[in-house]
Amino acid sequence: MNNRIRPIEKIYMAVIFLFMYAPIVTLIVLSFNRSKSRSKWGGFTMQWYLNLIHDHEVLNAMANTLIIALIATVVSTLIGTAASVAMTGMKRRMRSLIIGVTNIPMINADIVTGISLMLLFKVLHFDAGFVTVLIAHITFDIPFVMLSVLPRLKTISPSVYEAALDLGAEPFFAFRKTILPDLAPAIISGALMAFTMSIDDFIITYFTKGSGFDTLSTKIYSEVKRGIRPEIYALSAIIFVAVLILLFASDRMKARSARRTGVVKKGMNAKLKTYGAVAGIAVASILIIAMALVYGGVFSKNSDQVFVYNAGEYIDPEVIELFQEETGIEVVYDEFESNEIMYAKIASDGAAYDVLCPSDYMIAKLIDNDMLMKLDRSAIPNAYEYIGKQYYESATAFDPANEYAVPYCWGTVGILYNRNLVNGPVDSWDILWDPAYKGEILMQDSIRDAFMVALARRGYSINTTDPAEIDTATADLIAQAPLVQAYVIDQVRDKMIGNEAALGVIYSGEAIYTKRENADLEYVIPKEGSNVWIDAWVISREARNAENALKWIDFLCRPDIALMNFEYITYSTPNIAAQEMIEDEEIRNSAVAFPDEETLNRCDTYISLGEEGDRLYNEAWKKVKSAD
Amino acid sequence: MSKELIELKNISKSYDGQLVLDDLNLVIHENEFLTLLGPSGCGKTTTLRIIGGFETPDQGQVIFDGQDITSLAPNKRQLNTVFQKYALFTHMDIAENIAFGLRIKNKTDQYIRDKISYALKLVNLEGFEHRMPDSLSGGQQQRIAIARAIVNEPKVLLLDEPLGALDLKLRQDMQYELIRLKKELGITFIYVTHDQEEALTMSDHIVVMNQGYIQQEGTPEDIYNEPENAFVADFIGDSNIITAVMVRDELVRILDVEFPCVDKGFGNEKPVDVVIRPEDVELVKRGEGRIPGVVTHIIFKGVHYEMEVQAGGFEWLVHSTREFPVGTEVDIRVDPFNIQVMNKPASEDEQAIGVEE
Ligand SMILES: Nc1ncnc2c1ncn2[C@@H]1O[C@H](COP(=O)(O)OP(=O)(O)O)[C@@H](O)[C@H]1O
Ligand SMILES: [Mg+2]
Repeated sequence: MNNRIRPIEKIYMAVIFLFMYAPIVTLIVLSFNRSKSRSKWGGFTMQWYLNLIHDHEVLNAMANTLIIALIATVVSTLIGTAASVAMTGMKRRMRSLIIGVTNIPMINADIVTGISLMLLFKVLHFDAGFVTVLIAHITFDIPFVMLSVLPRLKTISPSVYEAALDLGAEPFFAFRKTILPDLAPAIISGALMAFTMSIDDFIITYFTKGSGFDTLSTKIYSEVKRGIRPEIYALSAIIFVAVLILLFASDRMKARSARRTGVVKKGMNAKLKTYGAVAGIAVASILIIAMALVYGGVFSKNSDQVFVYNAGEYIDPEVIELFQEETGIEVVYDEFESNEIMYAKIASDGAAYDVLCPSDYMIAKLIDNDMLMKLDRSAIPNAYEYIGKQYYESATAFDPANEYAVPYCWGTVGILYNRNLVNGPVDSWDILWDPAYKGEILMQDSIRDAFMVALARRGYSINTTDPAEIDTATADLIAQAPLVQAYVIDQVRDKMIGNEAALGVIYSGEAIYTKRENADLEYVIPKEGSNVWIDAWVISREARNAENALKWIDFLCRPDIALMNFEYITYSTPNIAAQEMIEDEEIRNSAVAFPDEETLNRCDTYISLGEEGDRLYNEAWKKVKSAD
Repeated sequence: MSKELIELKNISKSYDGQLVLDDLNLVIHENEFLTLLGPSGCGKTTTLRIIGGFETPDQGQVIFDGQDITSLAPNKRQLNTVFQKYALFTHMDIAENIAFGLRIKNKTDQYIRDKISYALKLVNLEGFEHRMPDSLSGGQQQRIAIARAIVNEPKVLLLDEPLGALDLKLRQDMQYELIRLKKELGITFIYVTHDQEEALTMSDHIVVMNQGYIQQEGTPEDIYNEPENAFVADFIGDSNIITAVMVRDELVRILDVEFPCVDKGFGNEKPVDVVIRPEDVELVKRGEGRIPGVVTHIIFKGVHYEMEVQAGGFEWLVHSTREFPVGTEVDIRVDPFNIQVMNKPASEDEQAIGVEE
C-alpha cells in the first residue's frame, strides 16, 4: 500500500483547513493588533486582553456565563446520569421512546427551542433573567449528558452491580462502587460537553434572558452595531480557545471510557488527570467569578433601578458607574443591535425598559404608535439649559412639539476621501459617479443611506416618496454599481484607514476616528446636502421607573458627563457647554464634528416613509443589489 | 435426610406475558449439592435469581430457614452468588475484590487479611492479592469469584453455570475443585448447569427442568437409570426411546415383539414409551435374540464402539466393547431389568427433545 498523500489531496486538505480556520486565525491575529483598524497592522499588543480585566460589563457577562454553565452542568449531569441509569430498568420500547423524546431539543433548531422556552416562561409568568436562562441551559444540556452516558452504560454488565448487592452492599453504595467508576469517564465527558454547549450557546440564551442580563455571547452580539471593539476580538479568542480545550478534554474522556484501564497505576493516573481537568475548570471559573464580584459587584441588588436600552458602545461605561455612585440608582443596562430590534422589543413588552435611545425616524414611529411618555420638563433642567436650541429645532422633524425626546448624539453623512488618491477638493456627490475612481468607491449597505446619496445628488428630497424620483435614483445607483468596490457598513472605516479605497460614504462620527488613524483622510458634506441624524433619549410609556429615567436623562445632559461621552463615542454632542469644554482645539473647531449652520441647513433628517414608501424603496433596493 | 433449608412454594414468574416458571415447588436441604439441570431457557437462572433475591416471583414464596424472604433485598440474604460471567470488580485488585463483602460488614483488618489468604489458598491462587482481575485467566477469575463469595461464610452458595466459559480440560479440573470445596466448607451449593455430565458428576441431588416445570428430581443414579419421561431420558443421555404397548404387568410389546420386563401397574394393552440405554442393548448371533437386525453404522469411541442397528423398523443405538462390522446380521436382546417403561408424555415439555407429535 502506498500511504503517501498525493499532491492534489494535499491541496484539497489545505483548502478545507484554510476555509475552516482562516476566520478564527484572523480573529486571533486581530486580538493582538495594536491598531483598531481591521485592515492595518499596528504592532503587537496585549492591551485588549488587559482591558478585559477592567471591563466590568464583560466581567459581569463572563461571570454570568460561568455561573450558568457551572450550575447547568452540575444539574444536567445529575439529572442526565440518573435518567440514563433509570432507563436501563425499562423495557426496550419505552427506552427508545424516551431517548427519542429527550433528543428532540438537540436536533431541534435552537431558535425553535429558544422561542418555545421563552413562550413557556411567559405563560408561566416567570421573570426572564438568570433563572430562565439557567432552566433553558439545563434543558438543552441534559441530552448531551445522556448521549455520553447511555452508550457507556450499555457496555457495563449489571451483574457487577448485582455482585456488590450480593456481597451485602446497599444499592447506592453498590452503584457507587461498581457502575460509577466505569461510568465516570463518560459522565465527565458528558459534563464537559454540557459545559461547552452552555458556554457556546447564543440563540436560546438570547430568547430567554430578558432585559438586564447578559452572557458573553449575547454581550458580544449586542456590541456589533458600531463595529466590534478589539476587546471583543480578545474575548472571542479566549472563548474559542476555552471551547477548544473543553472539546478536546471531552473527547479524551470518551476515548478513555472506551478503553479499559488494565493496571492499577494507569488507572490511578487517568483518574488523577480526570480530576485535575475538572478541578482546573472549577478553579478557573471560581477565580473569574470572584474577579467579577470584586470589580463588578455582580450581585449588588438594588430595588432602586433604571432599565436603560441603548445602542451598542454608545456610552462611556464610567458614566454608568458615576451615575450609580451619585444617585444610588442601579442601572440595568442593555444594548440593542438596531432600531428595528429595539422597536420589536418595546412593542412586545413596553415595561422591559424605562429609557431608550433610538434614532430620529424610529422616534417618529414610537410616537405615532403612542409608545412614549411625555417628558416632565421640570425634572430635566440640564436638558434645556445645555442642549443647543438648533438641535431641538431639528428634532421637530420627528418630535414636533419637543415633548418626548432629548437629543443625545448627532451627526451627518458625507464623503470620506483620501487626499493622496483623489485629485482636487471634493465637494459633490458627483464624484461617486466619476469613472476615474472605478473600484475605489465604498457605498453604505443600507437602503436609506444609499438612496439619500442618489436623491441628494439630483436635488430631490431625501425623504421623497415620488415614484418617478425614486426610479431616477434607482437608475443612477445601477449605473454607479460597476464603479463601486463594495457595499459595506463598518468596513468603510477600516478600508479607508488601510488605503484600500479612495472614497467612501461614512458617518461623521466615524470620520473623526478615521482621521486619527490616517491623517490623509478628509471628510466632506457635499454641497447638494445630506442627511443629518439625531439619536435622542425617550421614555417608554409603560416605564416602571420613570422618575429614575428622568434623572438618567438629566445626568447625561450635564456638561462634564456629555464631554466624557463625546470623548468616548466620538459622535457629535448637541451639548453646547460640553462642546465648549473640548480641550483639543482641532476637534472643538472641527467642521466634521460641528459643521456650521449653513452646512447644516442643507441637511435633512430622515422621516418615516410610510408603508407604501417603505415598499417602493425596498423594491428599488432589490433592483440595485441585483445589478451590483 | 438433613434439615430443610430453603423451600420454594408455588413459584410463578413471567416476563412480558411469557410464563417462565409455572407453579414451581422445590425443597433444598442443608449441606446438599443440588443441581438445577435443563436446556437453555428453561428457567434455571430465573429460579436461582429468585433465591438470590434479584427477581421477585409473581406468585409464591421463598422460605429460608423457616422465614419468608420472598421480598427481602439481596444484600440482606445469607447467601452468596457466583455469577455466570464472574462479575469481578475490574478497578479493584484481587484482595479488594475478596474483601468487599467483609468491609461492608466492618470486619477488622486482621480478620480480613486472614480471610483473604485463607480463601486464596482454598482456590489455589496464593500470592494473587495484588493482581488486577483483567490480568487473570478465565479459570482464575472464576476461582476468585468463588473466593469472594465464600469468605462471607454464606449458608448457601449459588452458582450459575460457573464453568460454562471454561475449556473442557479446565472444566473437569474445576469440577473436582468444587466438589472438594463443598466438602471442606460444609455448606449448601445450588448449582445451575445445562451439562448433564457435570450434573451427574458433582451433585447429590439433581432437579431436571424443562420449560419452567420440574420434570424429575432425585439422585444422579435415579435420574440416569430411571428417567420418568422421554424428556428426561433423552436429556440425560443418548437413549433408545421407543413407542410400545404394555401387554400386562411385566410384559411389554416392543416393535411387535414381546419382552419380559420388571415394571408393573401400567394397566393392560396400554400405550407407553420404553427407554433402553445404548449400553444395555446386547447384540447376539442371529437366532439367539428377539429382534433380527443389520448393523448400518459403526464408530470407534475409545472405550466402546458406537453402532446403529436397523431392527424391527427402528434404528437402535448400541454401545458395545465388541466390534460388529457394517452389514453384520445380528439379533437384539435386552434384559428385563434394563427396560425402563414410562407413561406417554402428558404435555409438550415431557416430550423428548426434537419430537413433534
Ligand atoms: N429479564 C428478562 N426479561 C425478559 N425475559 C427474560 C428475562 N430473563 C429471562 N427471560 C426469559 O425467561 C426464560 C428463562 O430464562 P433463564 O431463567 O435465564 O433460562 P436458563 O437460565 O435456564 O437458560 C428465557 O426464555 C428468557 O428469554
Ligand atoms: Mg442461565
